[in-house]
Amino acid sequence: MMNKSIVLLEDLWKSYAEIDAVQGLTFQISRGEFFGILGPNGAGKTTTIGILSGLIEPSGGRITIDGFDLFSKPIEAKARLGLVPQSFALYPTLSARDNLVFFGRIYGLKGKHLRERIARVLEIVELTDRANQTVATFSNGMKRRLNIAAGLLHEPEILILDEPTVGVDTQSRNAILESINSLNKSGVTVLYTTHYIEEAQRLCDRVAIIDQGKIIALDSPACLIQDLGKGMIRMGFNEGIDDKLLDQMKRIGLVIVVDDQKRRIHIETDRIDEASRELLELMKTRDGLLKTLDISEPNLETVFIHLTGRNLKD
Amino acid sequence: MIRQIIAITLKELKVLWLDREALALLFAMPMFFILVMSFALEGVFEAGSKGHPIEILVVHQDGGRLAEQAIADLKRMEGLILIETYEGIPLSSDKAEQLIGRGVYPLALLFPEGYTEKILKNANDPQKGKAIVYLISDPAMNLQLLATVKGAVQGAIERRVLLARIPQRLKEMFGTLGGTEGQLDNMLEDPNISERGRSGVDFIHTFPKGFNAGRRPTATEQNVPAYTIFGVFFIVLTLASSFLQEKKDGTFQRILAAPLSKTALLIGKLLPYYLVNLIQIALMFCIGVVVFGMKLGHLPALVIVSLALAAAANGLGLLVAALGKTEAQVNGLSVLLAITLSALGGMMVPTFIMPNLMKTLSLFTPHAWALAGYHDIIIRGLGIKDVLTEMFVLLGFASFFFVIALWRFRFDK
Repeated sequence: MMNKSIVLLEDLWKSYAEIDAVQGLTFQISRGEFFGILGPNGAGKTTTIGILSGLIEPSGGRITIDGFDLFSKPIEAKARLGLVPQSFALYPTLSARDNLVFFGRIYGLKGKHLRERIARVLEIVELTDRANQTVATFSNGMKRRLNIAAGLLHEPEILILDEPTVGVDTQSRNAILESINSLNKSGVTVLYTTHYIEEAQRLCDRVAIIDQGKIIALDSPACLIQDLGKGMIRMGFNEGIDDKLLDQMKRIGLVIVVDDQKRRIHIETDRIDEASRELLELMKTRDGLLKTLDISEPNLETVFIHLTGRNLKD
Repeated sequence: MIRQIIAITLKELKVLWLDREALALLFAMPMFFILVMSFALEGVFEAGSKGHPIEILVVHQDGGRLAEQAIADLKRMEGLILIETYEGIPLSSDKAEQLIGRGVYPLALLFPEGYTEKILKNANDPQKGKAIVYLISDPAMNLQLLATVKGAVQGAIERRVLLARIPQRLKEMFGTLGGTEGQLDNMLEDPNISERGRSGVDFIHTFPKGFNAGRRPTATEQNVPAYTIFGVFFIVLTLASSFLQEKKDGTFQRILAAPLSKTALLIGKLLPYYLVNLIQIALMFCIGVVVFGMKLGHLPALVIVSLALAAAANGLGLLVAALGKTEAQVNGLSVLLAITLSALGGMMVPTFIMPNLMKTLSLFTPHAWALAGYHDIIIRGLGIKDVLTEMFVLLGFASFFFVIALWRFRFDK
């Protein structure tokens, strides 16, 4: 399925007055690939998408889309991109159809072809029966779906989705993910940013984990988890734990103290079942101290914690 | 509940404080209104007073003592400044008309050759050969102000004429009647004699050559162009808010991601507002014509001034869109500019009755130039070549606004 690269980012930088939002990002996406960018809020995902969509000028670096340099041949490069921004990016006072007519026209679609494309994308996102309804009356989930439809109108080779499931209910979220997956199966290359690990794990062929504007890991979810993922036991206490208890825990796994008061700790381990049992035994000696307990199998979030010492949602 | 109120109040104060530019505008706006409106309206309330005198050009073709005495009296009159020379040369009739035609001065007083001689020669019967004084005014001059100034000037001149005739008339009367005090009183109370004394001078009110002198400016001809310009610049708020909304909603990002240039995006965004401005102007002038029977003058000239005016308004709109980072800033700046520039540009008060500083400042507003253009066409009956300066100045303003706006405009914020 995958062959030569269709998107190439080389040493991409974006600096604002006091911060470097993107610091030397380099990666390539193969044609037909489902590529994810995973990172916490503020990691630089949206800035990267902003640069890719032509909204933000980078401070340095190069982007090539299907062989066209995005900055010297922007028209050719952008014609191959479809963008689904994080915000709804729709005109709320217009109907769904009128929104699509407008966005179709700025991509040069017209007449019968435009009408056909509108009908098709409305079908993909299951909004055909709402086509003439004003967007302001839509639920968040419907707006998200229409947002995707607008990005698909001109049949882009690469679809860029920036957190497309933020703020939607589980049902709409599943419908959105199914639609995107189907599009990818039909040959569309997808660049997907998210801070939801389950989405990245479920959909992506490869994932770039970014933090503070830098790529800290890049591989398929399975490889990342296998190489870097540890089981994770997250514990919360009613009061700060003493050093004796901390030492006992350190014998079970790698202890990461999350806060200064020692009321929250993470324990990384390769033997999650045994470690969980040992910890629970240990806590029996300290009645009433344990407040919360969360046990995670190795996943992309534990990879992120392993690499940064922080939660994705921090 | 009080804690919640305090919490909300503190949050709101913090939000306001963080948007300091908008906060500053809240204070700057009334301050500017007070300053600009007070200075501008000073002319309305105090025009013709010592502090805000009216400048009148004097063309002294007569050379006789009566004209000289009248001029000297008028010079002593508070609230009037008489100008007899321009660039060191005594004013001629043509020069005075030219200066009024260009809107440099609003009024001229012309004493024609033989004025003194005519009055003295026909002193015993002024009806036989009345002396004439010409009052040449800018057709766009405020009528109320014109009537006041005309009355004061006329009164001063007639007083001098009457004084000049009295000795000769007394001599004649006493010579004929043998002269007693009672007879003199009777003579002065005779209404025929008094009337003859007062009407010894004819005032002819005229306009500079080449101007539409057959028609006097009406309230409509003053107000329709002025308030049209005032309204046209309110597009600044609509246009700037639209840019801000697009950025906020993310639609700007989606459009920028499409294969089109930033120039195309800006032109596409501005064009509808430009058209709205043109429709606005057409509609306002239609109201003037249909409801008030206003004559439009030379239509092609009106069109070119309107096209340039709309360009300047759109340029200013883009500039506000480039400078305003929040909704509050855009709203404050738009209203501040729309009203302040209108007041300064003579939309509410004619510029010629403003103090000199304000008059000079008005030249830095597109409003003043647009109004001058419209007045030239509608009131003074001029054509395309006469309003080319106004058109180019308006296009200059438009270019200036666009250049600064494009330099400051941020697509990514």
